[in-house]
Formats: sequence, C-alpha cells, structure tokens
Amino acid sequence: MPDKSKKGQAHQIEGGGASRLKTLGSKVWYFFNSLKLTLTVLISLAVMSVLGTVVEQNQPIASYAAKYGAAWTKLIVYMRVYDMYHSWWFLLLLVMLTLNIVVCTFERFPPKWKSLLNHKKDKFDPKLIDRLSNGRTFIVEATAVSVRQRVQEVFKKKGYKVMTFDEAGGYGVYAWKGIIGRFGSDFTHISLLLILIGSMLGTAYGYKGYKDLNVGSVMDSPSGDYKLRLDKFWIDYYDSGQIRQYNSVLTVIEDGKEVLTKQIWVNEPLYYKGTRFYQSNYGAAWDKIEQAYLALYRKGADKSEKPFTVKWGESAAVPGTRYSVKLTGYAADFYYDEKTRAMGSISADPNNPVVLVEVWEGKKPVSSSLLFQKYPGIFPAIPGSNYDLAFVNYRPTLFSGLSINNDPGTNVVWAGSIVMGLGFVFAFFVYHRRVWVFVAASGEGEWDVKLGGMINKNQLIFDRELKDIAGFISTGKFRS
Amino acid sequence: MKMIMSLMFFTFSFSFYFVAAFFYLGFWVFKKKWLGQCATALAYITLLSTTMVLVSRAAESGHAPFSNLYESMVLFVWAINLGYLVMEYRHKFKVIGAFVMTIEFVAMLSASLLPYKFKSAEPLNPALQSKWNWLVDLLRHAGLEKYAIGWLDFHVFTTFVGYAAFAISFGLSIMYMLKDRSERRGAQGAFVAAVPDAYTLDELGYRAIAWGFPFLSVGIVSGAVWANYAWGTYWSWDPKETWSLVTWLIYAAYLHARVTRGWRGRRAAILSLIGFIAVIFLYWGVSFVLPGLHAYA
Repeated sequence: MPDKSKKGQAHQIEGGGASRLKTLGSKVWYFFNSLKLTLTVLISLAVMSVLGTVVEQNQPIASYAAKYGAAWTKLIVYMRVYDMYHSWWFLLLLVMLTLNIVVCTFERFPPKWKSLLNHKKDKFDPKLIDRLSNGRTFIVEATAVSVRQRVQEVFKKKGYKVMTFDEAGGYGVYAWKGIIGRFGSDFTHISLLLILIGSMLGTAYGYKGYKDLNVGSVMDSPSGDYKLRLDKFWIDYYDSGQIRQYNSVLTVIEDGKEVLTKQIWVNEPLYYKGTRFYQSNYGAAWDKIEQAYLALYRKGADKSEKPFTVKWGESAAVPGTRYSVKLTGYAADFYYDEKTRAMGSISADPNNPVVLVEVWEGKKPVSSSLLFQKYPGIFPAIPGSNYDLAFVNYRPTLFSGLSINNDPGTNVVWAGSIVMGLGFVFAFFVYHRRVWVFVAASGEGEWDVKLGGMINKNQLIFDRELKDIAGFISTGKFRS
Repeated sequence: MKMIMSLMFFTFSFSFYFVAAFFYLGFWVFKKKWLGQCATALAYITLLSTTMVLVSRAAESGHAPFSNLYESMVLFVWAINLGYLVMEYRHKFKVIGAFVMTIEFVAMLSASLLPYKFKSAEPLNPALQSKWNWLVDLLRHAGLEKYAIGWLDFHVFTTFVGYAAFAISFGLSIMYMLKDRSERRGAQGAFVAAVPDAYTLDELGYRAIAWGFPFLSVGIVSGAVWANYAWGTYWSWDPKETWSLVTWLIYAAYLHARVTRGWRGRRAAILSLIGFIAVIFLYWGVSFVLPGLHAYA
C-alpha cells in the first residue's frame, strides 16, 4: 500500500507545518502571558522615563555634543534618547505592555468569570474548612434554634449573602460578599488600554495650532466651517500689581451670524464643535495701533500744543488749524529697505514706533508723512507750512495668543480614567470574602462549630472579622 | 500679608510633634499604658493644630493652602498624621508612632527652615486659578462662592494623600527589615520585641500602598484633566509628570509582584523603599533640580 503511506507522509508534512506554526503561536502567546514580562516592561518604562528627564529632550544635536561629547551624542542620536517618549522602542515597550494586558486578560478573565458565576453550585464540604489556614472549631452551648438564628443574623449584620446546606449530622452555611472586588484588576487593565487608545487617536487625528489674533480681527476655524472674532482682550491685576488673569472675549460666527460669545481665560477655554481655544499668550500688534496721540508744533513756539487723538484709519481735525490728519500706518520697529523702498517692522517689539499719517486741507491732500516717536521732527509733517506734528504716544492694539486644539482622543482618555477610578475602588477597597460555617450537634445543647474563610486581599482585617463572627455565634453579641 | 495665626499654629504643631514623639518613645521603652494614652492624645491634638495651620493659612492668603513648597509640606505632614492615626485606631499599634512623630517633627523643621521665597503666601498666578464653575454656581446661592475649590486643590490634595501613604509604607518597610532580621536571628532585644511582628508590618506596608496608589493615580489623572483646561494638552512629558509616571510604574510593579508573583516580605519591602525614593525625588528633586512647568511647587 504505497499510495496510502505517501498520503500519510504528505499529511504528516502538512500537519508538521501547521503544528510548527501552532507552537510558534503558543510560544508568542506564552511570552505575552507572563507576569515576568509585565514587571520587566513596567520597570523598563520607568528607567527609560527617568533617562528622558535626565537627558534634556528635543534640543539641537550640537548642544548634546557640547554637553556629553561626541561618543555619547552618537549613542543619544542612535537610540533616539533626545526624543525618548516618541522613540520607536519606547513605543515598542508600550505595545508590549498592551499585548501583555490583552493576553493576560484573555487568559485569566474567562475562568474567573465562570467560577464566580457558578460559585453557588459548588458542593459544601465541611472538611475543607479544616484545611483553611484560618479554620477553627469551637463549642457553643445554646439551643438549636438560637445557634441557627445567630449564624443567619451575624452574616446579615455584616452584609453577607447566605446559602444554607443541610448535611448529614448538621448543616452548613456558605456566606459571601464583595464579588465585584475580583473584577477591579480587569477594570484597571481595560482602562489602561482605553487611555493608550485615546492617546494614539490624539496623535493620529488630533490638531494643534496657535494663532495671534488682534482685537477686532477675525480668523477661520481649523476646519474652516466657522469664524472666530476677538472682541476684547484685557489683563486683571491684583492690588499688589501681580497679574491675576488674562482674558479674551471671543465670538463664534457661523454663516455670517453670531452664534456664541464667551469670555475665556487661562483654565477656561472656549469649546465649539470639538475644538478648544485656549488663552495662552498676548502682546501688542506690530502693524496696527488703536489710536495715536499727536501734538501740533507752531514754528517759533518752544513748546508743542496739547496732544489730540487720532483713531486707527480715521481722520481727526488738528485743533486750531484748517488741517486734518488720517492715521494710515504703523510699524513697531521701523525698517526701510533702500533698494526695494519697502517699509515695515523689523521685529514685533516697539523699539522704534512710527506712524504714517496723511495730512489734508479740507478735501485736498497735502502730504503723507512718517512720524517717529523717538526722533520728532526729522521729516516735516506738513512741508511748506508753519506747522509740524509730533507723534507723542499711542495706545497699542493688543493681540491675544490662542492655542487651538482638537483632540478626538481626549474623551476616550477620560472614559479610561473613570473606568480606572472604578477599578481602583473595586480592587483596593472591596474585598471578596467567603466564609463557610458547619454546625454539628456534639452533645445535649452543645454544638461543634467549624468556621473558616477566604479573602482575596487584606488578611489582617479578615482575621479580625472571623474572630468577630465566631464570637457572635458563641455568645449572641459582638464584643465591643 | 500677615500670617500670625498660621505661624502660631505652626509653632504649636511643631513643638507638639516633638513632645508626642517623646511620649511614643517613652511608651515604647517603659511600656506604661498612660504614656501611650498621652502620646495618642497628643497626636490627635497635633492633628487638629496642623489642620488649623492649613485653615488659617487659607484664610490669610484667600486660597487653598496648596500653592507653594512650605504649604505642601504642612499638607504632607497633616496627611501622614491622619493616616497614622487611622492605622493606630484600626490596628492598635502604638510603637510605630515613635517613628512617625519623629519624621513629622523633622518634616516640620525642614519646612520652617525653607528660604522665604518658598514660604510667602503669594496670590495665585493665572494658570493656578481653576475653580469648578458648577461649584461656584452652587455656592453662589448661599453667597459663599469665594470658598469654591477647583482642580488645583483637588489635584494637590489627592497627590499628597498618596505621598503620605507611601511615606507610611516606607516607614513600615524599614521597620519590617529590622524586625525580620531580628526574628530570623531568633534573639530579640526588648526594643524590637515591642514592634508588631514582621508578617503584620509587611501586610500593613502593603495596605498603605493600596491606599497610596489609587490616590496617586487620581492625582495624576486630575492633573491631566486640569492641564487639558489650562494648557490645551493633557500630557506634555514635563519632568514632574514623567516622575509621577515613574513612581506610578514602580508601585504598579510592586502590586503586580506582590499579588501575582507572591513577592512578600523582604523583596516587597525593597521595592517599597525604591518607590519612596522616587516619591522624594518627585516631590523635592524635580522642583529643585529639573526645570519645568511645575517649577512653582
């Protein structure tokens, strides 16, 4: 029967491949089902995190070279220590922790669930009580009814649920409470997965931005389906002069209509359609001011006249003359390029503030001049007249620096946090306790009571509780 | 800003920790019941007095007393005292008090020796002002909105309850090591004989961590929630955040090793010591050594 044997061989080979795959699979499974792995990963994550605080993160490579020397820098760059928390092997540790949690949960949860579901069907065996480390036997002198009552009463008082078994030669009582405590660890493990998933969602789909917005200006939302206007920005101070709070008033404009107006401050962002706008900076605009204070000089006079106000983009009459001025430009740190004849601001700081004004005589334009706050009179404001103008001061247009953030993972992280909180309550403060009592007659009005129990945590408390229960069964009351 | 009341209560607590330590020590040495009773009474009085330091400090500065190193030290001392008294009440061990009260005294001493800039009650900067709007609205009905609390208060309070529990566990672990060594040697001096047995110390040390771990976690999470309101991101790998995670990971390892791999006794005690070193660095080291967003406390 050569054919058959050939066939068998073929089968064997196939089976060999599959089983090799299977053993590989089970090896991987076994690897991730290990608590040694958990401890290794937890400690590795801790050590890596510490390293990340010792070596300053995300600095220019040159600064590492200066601090640690070339050889170490090479290692730092190679191992991505300069960006530890985003390095592939930090992520690898997180992935391993995730797989570890998933495999351990799959391995441990179903049998636990099954046994806890069926715990009432377990056979009552008085001999098991003797085997418990806290098992004890004592004699109670009382009537049958009162012993039975005491046993029921003590568990009721302590909040246990009770089942009674009638056995040959006596009866047994099984009492339990706090089963949910056994699921605490599962809650915390699932919550960690949720938090990891949430943070990954944030990295993958989140949006982070920043925008300086002048008072009165409008910006588009990151999604582009609505606009945001800054109505007001101001700073609150304490009496001592320290800054108390930065505030902005923002208005959401959708389809040309004002939908929502909200005052935001540090700790109180505006939330609209999944995006948050945070107060995170402020400053004075470099290309715009709210109003300028100008003063008139008459030729021959040694002092200027009282300053008058010109608002941005508006005209104001120059008091005592037939002229009017219009404020058309501003630069915080004046700069003039001779080649291109372009004017602008070299920085955002008001190092050399300049306004551009148009001077009109009735409806006739007379001139357009630059007025320097720090260098009055270097250009005549109204050439060929007996007058000149000085740029005395100005009220800046403030901008508010807004951080813009849209993180779809945040809510998942919060959900995870809540589950974690529940998990901790169950895991650390709810104990699964089981107590077995067996009562048998040992003489006239005399009872042999066997008592013992199990708790999943906090043996100390439980030893005292068992003592309490035994005392109540013996005497009918708790010792104070 | 005047701080007469809080200073008075501070001095009072400071001296009473010293006296209480002596009574606990006396009880340990002479085993006289009245010494122990006096010691416990003193510990309760000091707890009250420490509470008053915090309350009067809040009244003087107009915000919850959680905003600088000095205030957080007092909170730390207060939480350890409270935790110890709960433990003493539940487990009826008084000898441990000699350690706890001495540590409290040293902590108060170091708080009082802090340079002025860590002590002065400053008004809260913009980022630290975070009141819960729902609470403000609720209290407004009674005209009490200025007593509303927020993320700062919740975050610092839960974190420090956690620290305190870890500190207690640290003390218990050291006592465990001493006791365990003398138990193994067989011969015990009268001093060590009065200390609870090693099994109990081990179990109590674990219980303390079982309180500290959830509180630290809630502290970390509330910090993340708050950061999300204040800075727009719930985690930014700031050194304080990172070290809180390191501490959390160490205690997580402790719990897993203990519950599932049966690490008890000496090995658990060593992990607990390492954990507390991380706590110390998290609390003091990060503030002084590593720059970051938490530089103020």
